[in-house]
Amino acid sequence: MLRICVVVLLLASSGAWATERRGEFADGQILLGRFVQLRQLTGFPAPLKTEGRFTLVAGRGLIWQAETPFAVTTVISPSGLMQEAGGVETMRLPAARLPFIARLYAMLGGALSGDWRGLEDAFTVTREGDEKAWNLRLVPRRSGDAAIPFREILIQGGRFADRVEIVKPDGDRDILTFADQTISTQPLAAQDMQLLDMAGRR
Amino acid sequence: MRVLAVVWLAVVLLCGLYLGYRIHQGTLFRTDLTALLPQDERNPVLQQASDTVSRALSRRVLFMVGHSDRDTVRAAATQFSANLLSSGVVERFDSQFDAERVVRLGRQYFPYREGLLSERHRTLLQQGQGERVAVNALSQVFGFVGMADAALLRQDPFLLLPGFIADLPFPASRLAVDDGYLTVIDEGVTWIALTGLITGESMALDTQQRLIDVVTEAETGLKAKAPTVELRRLGVVFFGHAGASLALKEASWLGSLSLLGTVLLIVVVFRRIGPLLHNLLALAVGTAVALSISFLIFEELHVAVLLFGISLIGVAVDYGLHYSASLFDPAMQRPAERLAHVRMAITLGLLTTLIGYAALLLAPFPGLHQLAVFAVVGLVAAFLTVILWVPLLDRDRTLRHGAVMLQAAAALWRFWSTPRLRPLHYTLLAALVLMGVLGWLRLEVDDDVRHMQALSPALLKEQADIQHLTGAVPAAQFLLIRAADDEAALQREEAIMPVLEALLAGGQIASYQAPASYVPSAARQRENTQLRAERLDGPLRQSQYAKLGLPVPEQAAPAAQGVLQLAEALQQDTVPYLKDLVVAPGLHTITLHGLKNADALRAAFAGIPDLWVVDPVTDFNALLGRYRDRAAMLIAISAVLMLLPLFWRYGLRGALRVMAPPTMALLLTPAALALLGQKFTFFHAMAMILVLSISVDYAIFCAEGEVGHHSIIMLAIWLVTFTTLLSFGMLAFSEVAIVQGFGLTMLVGMCISLFLAPLARRRTESAA
Repeated sequence: MLRICVVVLLLASSGAWATERRGEFADGQILLGRFVQLRQLTGFPAPLKTEGRFTLVAGRGLIWQAETPFAVTTVISPSGLMQEAGGVETMRLPAARLPFIARLYAMLGGALSGDWRGLEDAFTVTREGDEKAWNLRLVPRRSGDAAIPFREILIQGGRFADRVEIVKPDGDRDILTFADQTISTQPLAAQDMQLLDMAGRR
Repeated sequence: MRVLAVVWLAVVLLCGLYLGYRIHQGTLFRTDLTALLPQDERNPVLQQASDTVSRALSRRVLFMVGHSDRDTVRAAATQFSANLLSSGVVERFDSQFDAERVVRLGRQYFPYREGLLSERHRTLLQQGQGERVAVNALSQVFGFVGMADAALLRQDPFLLLPGFIADLPFPASRLAVDDGYLTVIDEGVTWIALTGLITGESMALDTQQRLIDVVTEAETGLKAKAPTVELRRLGVVFFGHAGASLALKEASWLGSLSLLGTVLLIVVVFRRIGPLLHNLLALAVGTAVALSISFLIFEELHVAVLLFGISLIGVAVDYGLHYSASLFDPAMQRPAERLAHVRMAITLGLLTTLIGYAALLLAPFPGLHQLAVFAVVGLVAAFLTVILWVPLLDRDRTLRHGAVMLQAAAALWRFWSTPRLRPLHYTLLAALVLMGVLGWLRLEVDDDVRHMQALSPALLKEQADIQHLTGAVPAAQFLLIRAADDEAALQREEAIMPVLEALLAGGQIASYQAPASYVPSAARQRENTQLRAERLDGPLRQSQYAKLGLPVPEQAAPAAQGVLQLAEALQQDTVPYLKDLVVAPGLHTITLHGLKNADALRAAFAGIPDLWVVDPVTDFNALLGRYRDRAAMLIAISAVLMLLPLFWRYGLRGALRVMAPPTMALLLTPAALALLGQKFTFFHAMAMILVLSISVDYAIFCAEGEVGHHSIIMLAIWLVTFTTLLSFGMLAFSEVAIVQGFGLTMLVGMCISLFLAPLARRRTESAA
């Protein structure tokens, strides 16, 4: 659940802060990039490090592909969530069973079109800096909301969000850094298209 | 006579005192159907268990609160459930899964995790696919949806415990927990499900009324805050209330109409208030004495017995009417003469009717026993009131305004006794026989109680909505398992789970909940521990930690902590649903959701010892069918028994002649009903008992009729018919199918009985 929030915020910041003209990221456009995630867990000598790439297709969904140390692909679409590893489906959650996904889409859609109310309902938002280098700090308004299990989120960015740090209530933290982000207007690769279709299946 | 009347007064007063005492004590009536079940046919322990579970299931309610805005609907659900809880109509809601509850559940299972495997993981391990279990865990840790918790991963690198908890059966397949509430989003509307248990019995009228009042008020409160908030409800109690309020509404207008009609009829015919008061007195005394004696014998009465019983005692009013009709006879000036005139006829009438009702005692059904005692006592009391009190109260002189009425009433008698109309008589009788044959060919029986209830269309719509939203509604049917102890019962459940899984895969059920789904048997837990050590921890543990990038914990596999016992889980009360599933040690239930076909369920579990498919509706249907059969048989037996007093009075030929019209009425009424499109039910059979007793009374009065008095007798018979039709015949206009069936039977039976009654007259008269 945690990282779903991250992506909401990532996209929200990319959409509303980094782009000069609102609505630049329009239906059919694709945001591509790579990510490195470090999970610092108390009691563990080294953080869990995951690297991979992501593809966000406006209006269709998100493909989150971890490559190392373990290849696993997660696809989120309005109809639900699907996860596969080594060609075998390991998880499927229809949106009807996951009210959070529906909330996520409401927040996401709002943020992308510059409507911050959905986000500000759930978080206290603090913004600093300018369009070229900005910081964003989000603190949940309600503590104990099981759907938002973290203490705070810090985001740094320029044109896109570059770094996201999530602090959990128990002090564990996830640090995500993004690289090679581009907005593409090319049609989606057939393979990715297929993944989105699979996630949409019931 | 006066002495006897005083003695009778003393008896009535005593009965009245006892009745008052019992009413003061309370709990007089039962409404549950189990009170009507024959007690000796089933295992009492089993019956008690299935009654307990059925009753608990019927106390469950489900509400769904919906609104397009999540926060609004959450606030509404909180307010609604708080209202219902604080007013005490709902004992508890068990659909909230707040974080604390989930944590407690995890704590309950954690020490025993070595023996807990989800069915999916267990199957994979049995098939030697431990690798896939490992990959699933890795994909959870490194995938987008991170479920991994540091402390947990260290203890459980294959995430077997989260798998077990996630796969615990969850009744409504489309619902998911959203911050404590069971939620589903459908077409932009967020719905929250609230399931709970009502306080009190679902069939008790006061429970129903209180719940409905509170729910209505709470709903109004919600709408005041957010006008577009929606509410759906489901539960036996709502259907029960809707049925009861329809019946009560009807009872009040049909009842007023019939009372008004009867009063009007008697007053118009006699132009006196006396006969009316005398008849009401007979009915009141009959009912009061019947209640009093029945309570003395049975402690409690079923409410259905009360309703049918009063109908049966109503026949007693007829005796009063026969007495009152002799007011028109100028030959009888004094009450004693009037009484002497009708005494033989009403005594015979009483005797035959008593035989009819007492025959009900022959059936092994507690419901019919109560009814028989109630009716016999009431009838005797009403009879005694008529012969002991009414003549003493009677101050009326002979009535002189009846010439036209008497003339008209006697027309039917003249029709049957006019020799030149004989070809017409035969033609009519042949037509009746033809109708009888055609009707019997078309006669169908129907014992399905669902066809007899008028289910509220609005509630059915809400049920369909809830079915759509949740994916499956709870089934009334369930499985009952009995074993020596809990462990044996859990093992049995595990043994039949493949059958349930097959039903699940075939779409016959949407989900099931067995105690063993929440707490596996000790044997299964040990087996799981071994399976896990051999197929997972042994070959894959090192590499799993390596892939996770974690050091292998220093200690070897943690020592087995023993197994989770059902008793411990029950005592802690952290595992959802478990309390409802375990009736007693060794006596478990498996509840079902979204059942499509009860027959398939029965077939799947047929012949398995100590396991029963309990289906309250089907059981009740079968019971009604048996009651119907018995009632029909008893009617036939009592018709034969009635011949005895008639034989004593009229000789063999005379007795057969008197029984001819009632017999024809008995045979023709079901036929006529069949032609009217009615299916014969237990309630039609109950009405037939009344048709028989009234019809025999008619025939006896015609047989007792002397030359010159027949018009007075016919007037009495017409009056009886009219009052009967005003009371029971009116029921034919009811919307409640069973009431309508009862009323229609009376309507048809009374008309046939009245029409044929003069056939029982003495032949000497017809030759004259």
